[in-house]
Amino acid sequence: MPGQRVLISGMGGELGSRLAALLEDEPWVGELAGIDADPPRRRLRAATFHRIPPAETERIVQTITDFDPHVLVHVASWEPDARAGTGTAKVLTDHAATSVLGAAAECKALQAVVVRSGIEVYGRARGSLTRPDEDTPLDPTSEYGRMLEGIELTARSVSQRVGVPVTLVRLAPVLGPHVPSPLGRVLRQPVVPFSVLADPPFTVVQDHDAAVAFCAASRQRHDGPVNVVAPGSISTFQAIRRGGRIPLPLVGPEWRLVRAMSWVLGAPIPDHVAELFHRGRLADDSRAMDVLGVAPTVTAVEVIDGLHAWESVVRVPARRQVA
Amino acid sequence: MTALILPFARRSEPGEPKHPADVEEDPTVERTRPDPPASGVHVDGWGRDSIFVERITTLANMRWHVTLGGVDRLPSRAGALIVVNVRTYSLAPVFTALALCEATGRPVRFVGRPDTAPAGALLRRLGGLLDHPEEVRNALRAKELVVIGTGRELHPQRVGRIDHRLIGAAVQERVRVHPAAATSSPFSRHARVEIGTEINAGRSRRGPLAELELADAARKRIRSLLEEMGGWHSGPLFDWLSMSGMGGD
Repeated sequence: MPGQRVLISGMGGELGSRLAALLEDEPWVGELAGIDADPPRRRLRAATFHRIPPAETERIVQTITDFDPHVLVHVASWEPDARAGTGTAKVLTDHAATSVLGAAAECKALQAVVVRSGIEVYGRARGSLTRPDEDTPLDPTSEYGRMLEGIELTARSVSQRVGVPVTLVRLAPVLGPHVPSPLGRVLRQPVVPFSVLADPPFTVVQDHDAAVAFCAASRQRHDGPVNVVAPGSISTFQAIRRGGRIPLPLVGPEWRLVRAMSWVLGAPIPDHVAELFHRGRLADDSRAMDVLGVAPTVTAVEVIDGLHAWESVVRVPARRQVA
Repeated sequence: MTALILPFARRSEPGEPKHPADVEEDPTVERTRPDPPASGVHVDGWGRDSIFVERITTLANMRWHVTLGGVDRLPSRAGALIVVNVRTYSLAPVFTALALCEATGRPVRFVGRPDTAPAGALLRRLGGLLDHPEEVRNALRAKELVVIGTGRELHPQRVGRIDHRLIGAAVQERVRVHPAAATSSPFSRHARVEIGTEINAGRSRRGPLAELELADAARKRIRSLLEEMGGWHSGPLFDWLSMSGMGGD
């Protein structure tokens, strides 16, 4: 299998950049290329990057078909209120999924597709399972969940038509020092709202663990979904207290006002984050080790502790003092 | 077409100390973390809060003094489904789970929490699971001890129906099913839980008959355990009064 061509869509994001850095060290990877609207956030040694906005379908198709990848890793999804508002995120995600996965279907060398999804696809409707596993029927109850379900449907359709395995990596909310995350942003506010009657548990995943899972998925080429979540969980109140933030207990109707105020203050709470605060978000992670050979090691509590420990501004000293 | 060839060259000169921007972030490096507050306990992957369970167990011990028998019949590490009889308003699955947790040192789940706040949220922190076969199956796959209740009965010696779909979860995951007989009284602290040996339906079935037969076998075994434990059949006059709290009930 050595000398394989791997293409990453969404290489410019934190997750895509980390994944590219990991894939560069994989012995089976021959050529590595990436597409995104923004340049990568890490220094990469061997990867080729193409800066193309998601709306430019023709250029994306041309670039991918010219590269003719053996493995496509699609991580280009925009979480609502992470880097773009819900409406824009929906359009960008849809454009990227259609053009990238559609172009991949035209590549003769294609052997496997790995797609980023999320545990938001299971939804948190009344009576839904506490820890849904990969066999649980999809029932998204948030806009982000429906966006991810759309990506999965497109990927499955490509898989059926072309006959290649598609690994659907369903991530818990990804947190990391440079990951734009509405959940992380809200939890780092000085005053954080929480549902006093429910205070549900949720889990997350560290960005590095998520990148390792993607790297393993592109190597293992499993056909089907796999949940990638950090071990353990934490309740919203405990997450707030661990960061020394002031918990703001809410019961119900005042959530609308608090969400509006949070939006004005620069930390919008999209519906999938609000759902997490009300209903929690857990998933069964027992299949990851069997399917991928790796599983997240950093626990949910450690990820939250890390979230509160990250510096707001990282000061890098000058290489040489000149004045 | 815009094409950038990486890397973005930024390297320290040989011999000079590494520039901070040249050092790859090592995820294994220990970061300074804030000291956890006293109440900053965490919950497990199912939402069960071990500190909360300890506190509730202390309170529960004031209400129930549970005598537990047959704990050594349960697996020490593997998962198992424990079926316990339920009298109306007795909360038998809850006190059984708490008592088993104390005795085994393992987290024990019980089935039957609602999915509405605040009762559902509180019971989830105690280890409650939804009354859903897939929920039970996931827990058994994760090698958990799960307590399910039979249908509610007012009479202490009767055993209600057992949801065979929940038993089916154990059949599919190939874990042991143990009967448990619980007796308690609303007027007394004394409660008793006796765990029986693993239930074997007798025949090996390939289809859903296995769970039906296992559920029937579990019901019979619980009834026989209740008879072995005594109660109104063997006691003096006051034992006839099932709610008196003076008998084995």
